[in-house]
Amino acid sequence: MYKTTGFISFLLRRVTGVALVLYLFTHIWVIGGAVTGEATFNTRMVFLTSPLFKFLEIGLLAAVFYHGFDGLRLLLINWFKITDKRKSMFAAAFVLAALMVAAGGTLIILELIHLGG
Amino acid sequence: MKIFQVQRITAVALLLFMFMHIIVMHYPPREMEYSNIVYLMQFPGMKVIESLFLLSVLLHALTGSYVVLTDYQALSRLRKVFVIVLTLAGIAAFYWGALTIWTW
Repeated sequence: MYKTTGFISFLLRRVTGVALVLYLFTHIWVIGGAVTGEATFNTRMVFLTSPLFKFLEIGLLAAVFYHGFDGLRLLLINWFKITDKRKSMFAAAFVLAALMVAAGGTLIILELIHLGG
Repeated sequence: MKIFQVQRITAVALLLFMFMHIIVMHYPPREMEYSNIVYLMQFPGMKVIESLFLLSVLLHALTGSYVVLTDYQALSRLRKVFVIVLTLAGIAAFYWGALTIWTW
């Protein structure tokens, strides 16, 4: 059971979902700092522009893309009644997410190198 | 309406609103600056799109959290507590988010 694609996708969807909920509330708090003025906003943005958060941003990209593509996969399977395609669609969702993370992650790392240099 | 239906409807809404949010707010890729937020949030269309995005993402996130939490047998007797806590968290986050969108 624990090695099936169904279980792996379920587990990854949950883990990425919980991570995204935590990020959502942080994002609302940080951007909400703009209401009280530029100084508050900039203070809250300091952490988000740090090299540590840049690395965490790659994890954020992975969570967003995996959760999004896997969710889309579930919607398509449910609407078009194509449960026999679920394994290949899981592979497609995973590969698409990996490609998007590789592309976005490369840009983030290049930006870090540029900032460091 | 059942929770999974809310999840499905908001998931479809999120595909649309997140795409619009990313394109308008984060493209071309840049650090978010105070002046950008003030500028973009002056457009009435942006206020509407961002408000709908905020509503759908919170509904999706909080119903998802409820499902995850109540899936554990040990926690399932706390359903009412989760409903109250998650509803309050949702109202607070929506209020704070809407304030950020509609202040300008």
